Amino acid sequence: MWIQPKELMLPLALWTGEMYSKYFVMQKRRGHGESRSLGSMLVSTYDSIRNTKPAPYRIVHQTSSSDVSYEIAIGITLDDIVKDWEWLQVNLFGVLNEMENDVEVTNFTIYKIKSLFTQNNQDNTGETPDFKVKTSQFRQIFKMPEEERLVNSYSATYIESKIPRQGQLYISLNHVCFYSYMLSQEIKLIIRFAELENISRSINTIYMKTANSMTYNFTLLFNLIEAHDLIEQLNKMAIQKLMHEPESPVVNHNPLNFVRFGAKASNKPVLLRDLTARQKSEEFRAYFHLPQREIIDGKIKADIWTPYSKRFNSGEIYLTTNFFCFRSDVKDLVSVVIPMKTIKSVEKKDDGQRRYDNQIVIFTSDNVPFIFAKIIDRKVLISKITDMLSSTDIPVNRERAKYDISWSKQTALLNTFKTQFSADIKKKQELKLARWEHHFRDFGRGISMFRTTDVINLIVEGIPDKLRQEIWLIFSGAIHDKENNPGLYEDLVEKAALLKNCAVHDEIDRDLPRSLPEHPAFQCTDGIGALRRVLQAYALHNSKVGYCQAMNIVTSVLLLFCDEENSFWMLAGLCENLLPDYYEDKVVGAQIDQGVLNELVDSHLHDLHDHLENLGVIKMISISWFLTIFMSVISYESSLQILDCFFYEGAKIIFMISLQIIEWNRDDLLKCQDDGEAMLVLQSFLEGIYNPEYQVPPSTDKRKMDRPQTQTVQTLIHEAYTKFGEEITQQRIEELRNKHRRLTFRQFDIDNEKIIVKAHVQNAYFDRAELHMLLSIIREEKLALKSVQQQQQKMQSYLSEAPQLLQSPTRSGPTDVMPGGGGCGRHQAYCINFEVFHTLFLELAPWRKCVAVDIAEKLFRLTDKKGNGYLDFGQLINAFGLVCSNKSIEKLKLLFMLHLPPLLTKAETVRSRRPRPATKDDAEEAIEAEDFFDEDASESIEALPSPSDHNFEALMNSTHHLHTLAGISGNTFMDLSRTTPNFSLNSNASSLAHRTSIFYVDLPAALHGTATCIEAGQDDDHDIGLRQQGRYESIDTFSDISDLGASRITPPPHASTSAVAGAAVAGTAADQMLNVETISNFSQISDLIAATGNERADSNATDTRSLGSLGYMLDQPDEGASAAGRQNVPNMRKENFGLLWQSIIEIMDCGQDEEMKRAYENLIELGNSNMKQQASLESFTQLNFGGSGDEQPDSNGNPTTPAAEPSSKTRLIVALEEEMRQAKLKAAGETGAATTTTSGGSSSSTNNSVAWHISINQFIATALTCERIDKAFQTCTNIVEQIEQLQKKRRKCLSTDYNY
Amino acid sequence: MATRKKSLLKVIILGDSSVGKTSLMNQYVNKRFSNQYKATIGADFCTKEVVVNDRVVTMQIWDTAGQERFQSLGVAFYRGADCCVLVYDVTAPNSFKNLDSWRDEFLIQASPRDPEHFPFVVLGNKVDLDNRQVSTRRAQQWCQSKNDIPYYETSAKEGINVEMAFQTIAKNALEQETEAELINDFPDQIRLNSENNRPGNADNCQC
Repeated sequence: MWIQPKELMLPLALWTGEMYSKYFVMQKRRGHGESRSLGSMLVSTYDSIRNTKPAPYRIVHQTSSSDVSYEIAIGITLDDIVKDWEWLQVNLFGVLNEMENDVEVTNFTIYKIKSLFTQNNQDNTGETPDFKVKTSQFRQIFKMPEEERLVNSYSATYIESKIPRQGQLYISLNHVCFYSYMLSQEIKLIIRFAELENISRSINTIYMKTANSMTYNFTLLFNLIEAHDLIEQLNKMAIQKLMHEPESPVVNHNPLNFVRFGAKASNKPVLLRDLTARQKSEEFRAYFHLPQREIIDGKIKADIWTPYSKRFNSGEIYLTTNFFCFRSDVKDLVSVVIPMKTIKSVEKKDDGQRRYDNQIVIFTSDNVPFIFAKIIDRKVLISKITDMLSSTDIPVNRERAKYDISWSKQTALLNTFKTQFSADIKKKQELKLARWEHHFRDFGRGISMFRTTDVINLIVEGIPDKLRQEIWLIFSGAIHDKENNPGLYEDLVEKAALLKNCAVHDEIDRDLPRSLPEHPAFQCTDGIGALRRVLQAYALHNSKVGYCQAMNIVTSVLLLFCDEENSFWMLAGLCENLLPDYYEDKVVGAQIDQGVLNELVDSHLHDLHDHLENLGVIKMISISWFLTIFMSVISYESSLQILDCFFYEGAKIIFMISLQIIEWNRDDLLKCQDDGEAMLVLQSFLEGIYNPEYQVPPSTDKRKMDRPQTQTVQTLIHEAYTKFGEEITQQRIEELRNKHRRLTFRQFDIDNEKIIVKAHVQNAYFDRAELHMLLSIIREEKLALKSVQQQQQKMQSYLSEAPQLLQSPTRSGPTDVMPGGGGCGRHQAYCINFEVFHTLFLELAPWRKCVAVDIAEKLFRLTDKKGNGYLDFGQLINAFGLVCSNKSIEKLKLLFMLHLPPLLTKAETVRSRRPRPATKDDAEEAIEAEDFFDEDASESIEALPSPSDHNFEALMNSTHHLHTLAGISGNTFMDLSRTTPNFSLNSNASSLAHRTSIFYVDLPAALHGTATCIEAGQDDDHDIGLRQQGRYESIDTFSDISDLGASRITPPPHASTSAVAGAAVAGTAADQMLNVETISNFSQISDLIAATGNERADSNATDTRSLGSLGYMLDQPDEGASAAGRQNVPNMRKENFGLLWQSIIEIMDCGQDEEMKRAYENLIELGNSNMKQQASLESFTQLNFGGSGDEQPDSNGNPTTPAAEPSSKTRLIVALEEEMRQAKLKAAGETGAATTTTSGGSSSSTNNSVAWHISINQFIATALTCERIDKAFQTCTNIVEQIEQLQKKRRKCLSTDYNY
Repeated sequence: MATRKKSLLKVIILGDSSVGKTSLMNQYVNKRFSNQYKATIGADFCTKEVVVNDRVVTMQIWDTAGQERFQSLGVAFYRGADCCVLVYDVTAPNSFKNLDSWRDEFLIQASPRDPEHFPFVVLGNKVDLDNRQVSTRRAQQWCQSKNDIPYYETSAKEGINVEMAFQTIAKNALEQETEAELINDFPDQIRLNSENNRPGNADNCQC
């Protein structure tokens, strides 16, 4: 990167030369790279301490005749600098060599580089090269993606266990980072803004505390306040982002790109200036009640001439695109807002008599002059105003679509429903009106009136009814929005009226008569209709807020005094500016302000605070106070006057009044024993507040009249101003809001976590603490900023690998509402997408070492039952829990299933056969071994005797015995030993239907059908196959499988003798044949269906459905408890098995030992023998009986988990027996099938049955004979430890490289 | 935590917006019906002295806001509740469907000691209206499925069954009271601003 050439006096200090030419040296900073000499250590320490850290590479221009050298280029990486060096070589070396003297060479070089520098920087935002270097250093050190923009960096000291570490504090949009390199000790810290729980500062230190209780202290010598304010601001932005778009981080918004006048061009980074301007603008907007989009363009000192006092007042002029504002230095003395569009002319005024220089006069369209003096940069100001005037937003009069709806705008309801005042009060109103008129004469009227303490005094006394609309509109700032959007309200009303079946409208309708029922205007259609239109229009306008109860109450009062459209804009101003976030989900704004009030009570009414806190009163009372600006708790006549003040003062009046109310009731509150009493005290007090100057005729609600009058609202407001007006400022409230925004969100998280943990505490795998840890890591990971680019790359690689995944992760979000109503929101907050799952799996799960197959992806797809690309927390627990548990058999089962199609596609198995550089030796070995056995496959063992029927029955009995011994019971086993097929089928049907109800398959009916089929099958063997297939046509593929699973369980085991049972066996045999063959390869399902006449071409649909069935099989409640639970898991093909074995080797993370090799050989042979079924049965029995008999003592001696051993062994044997029984039935079926070969379906499946395959039970049984596998799979993973490690790693910014 | 006298019962009324919670409370406490209630924001509150089993007890009735976005505020009101009244509108099937989530939400947020046997009472309100849509049988079935919750059909307007329902409420609440012996096990809210409190403490509660 070329830089502005800089003179260097000591070109060699701290640098080492890397490349030389006659006039140039390319240098490298010491202390970078591998060298660990003392020198480089010192240099890097020095660099770290110095505020500006130089780039590691630079090019220096030097001549032999001069001592002065010039730094002309810097580079972050060697490549960068080499590029520049090459440019020099090509373009300069030749030219320079031809020059005559060194001076000329230097001049030419510098000129050239300067032009290069300016050329390269033209497209830029005006960042200094220093800052660019810092930015790239920041990205490099902390591995931040391009999107993460650095705001600024500060030299800071971090104190870690009493050792100070000097380094750089980097502040970016989403993170505070710290880097220190001292005496070859490196420290990296990354703190996300969104996880900060507390921020505070002392004289020279910034303290930060994160949600997981980590504390950080940074000492800054310079710019402490700037850094602190920046952190506060960015934290606020991060939390607001969380509030509105929880899934995305803060990214750089459109830069403002304005040029500030009056101030010298600062050398601060652009983004910092931008953010500071935003911060300032926010305060400014809040003060003048200007629309959201106004950004201060600049400010300048000036004096304003106030005609009413006939003097000049010093203050500052603020300029924005649409407004010219002035604020006096003396608080509240005077302020003015002049919309740019009303400015008619700006003139210099240089009358000789005036002793003030630099005056300007601004004339507004009403011909009112505003005189400003003592403007230092008058010229700049005038030209600026001229610029602004030309660029002022002109409201577009939009062409409105015409709707067929007739309605008319309601004017202020009080015009129709006049309040009947007594003569006395009428007189008072007129008196007030006269005073206001008088005030207007002196101070002006309309937006640009001089706003002084006089107007506050007038407002506090109550605005007369006739003026309320005008004054409210001006001081609330709603008038600006209204004028900028002509016609918008009408448009919204009509659009809203056309909406049908809108839930929000129902809610609004329900509340219409419950807004201000005591007022006659809302007892008839005029008021109700207007209220409906305003609320509906606003719900449409701001869908984020929609409709919140309390808005109706506020709006109804507005409607009494203002016309519909004005009411609408005032409501908008209320929701968006005056009471930020109040009416949103969870009324969070109001909850934040409850925290603020609580803290204010603590500092102003300290003696009461603890008592109220104990009673929990503040939380209870204040919600309605805040949300309705007291209108639901104080009588309407009285609350009006508070509303008057509110529109002028903003939210601070609510706090003042609240404090005053609490203070007045101090003694009574202190006596209260419980929350109810306190509520009563406050309730009766508030109901007793009355307004003697605005008495309306006796209300119909007698309840109110019963209450004794307590205080006048005038006294209340007056007292509140005198007691708290000085101390409670907008600024203070904003500061407290920042703090409580953090705390409130933290509290939400804590509450959510508690509730979710409570809901999931009954799971099979994790305890409470582990669940909490899991939730916290999910939260952190979800917040983690990831490069969009990286994500895309990753996504693409997945897409190419596994096309099935395409649908799921690209979906927008968990849109389908989960059952459970109210709780769904909080559960959704912890739903994770594939991205997060993948990261977590690779970081936490013990199977992360697996590289041959992307286990995470398979597991995600298996677990994501809805197929929407998201896992809820319960699903995550199941997936992670099993993987981390010590249930070896189930883990093996899971692993087996993960390697089945459709999870493991053919494409993957083929690809993995190709040699890959990343593949470990073991894996290759495995493949070779597999190939070797492939050839040997013909040498299968055939000569082994088959078990007789008698043997079989004995086996079954022993199974039974073992089951009871192991204490295993359950549906499946019960079903196994039943003799009546009908009964078991029914029980199965109900249980299956229950479990699979989420799939919306009409299972009971299907099963019933199967049941009748089988019964019928007793009469006519021949038909069964067909009829069963007939059933498959009509029901979904998935239900086929579970259906098959169910009917498969039914064959009577004691069926060796009786004829009936024999028929049943034959019946199930046909079924069996289908079963084995269909499921053995899922891709065949569609073939099969096609063969039976159903033209289902949607192979994708089949795919997801079979996925669902796999998931379902995994979820069977008695998984692992008996082999029967696994029996409908399809068999595995050889390619997949190769990968499976490879995965096992990788998971165990050590080479194969002899035992494992032997197991592998066994399995391969088993698979071979499975090809010839009759033979397989024999060989299998032989093999495994020999095996398990030998193995038994070995395993018993195994000290790892002696308790678990017997049951797992039992299961193993059960598995074997089950397998044999299956095989036997299969054999029986073979004959049946031979006689009934009728359709193409069976012929195609015959082909398949010949292929190499292995069943899950064979796999598990054999795998477990290996001591090492057994041990490895019985190891429990401590998830908490893993998570803590990961959190530590994240904070220290150590990343893991995943093997993609 | 404030200690409460034994003669105080805290009753929470929950249910969708505009099912008549405020009206029921006022009908019971003031024997009056008005169609001029404002929508309840936050919570409303009434007390009434009742005689149950020859004992005079004060019943604190908390009437809550029905809109969903106010639900998260419930914690503040629910603590120490002795009985929870679930109200639905017999003319609004949705308000009946939502009873489930109201009940769950209450149990989650209030964390009573024995959630299985915490006394609930279900009231089907507005039976005076003609366009009834939720049948008595359906409501009764639901109540039975939830551990036999007592069920009453009321009309706050006509005052039908209101007195009786609240008598049951008082009686059941009092039973709960004697069983639990007033040990309030609701965990104190975590105060984030106090120094000694770390999120880890959240796990220590007995809930």
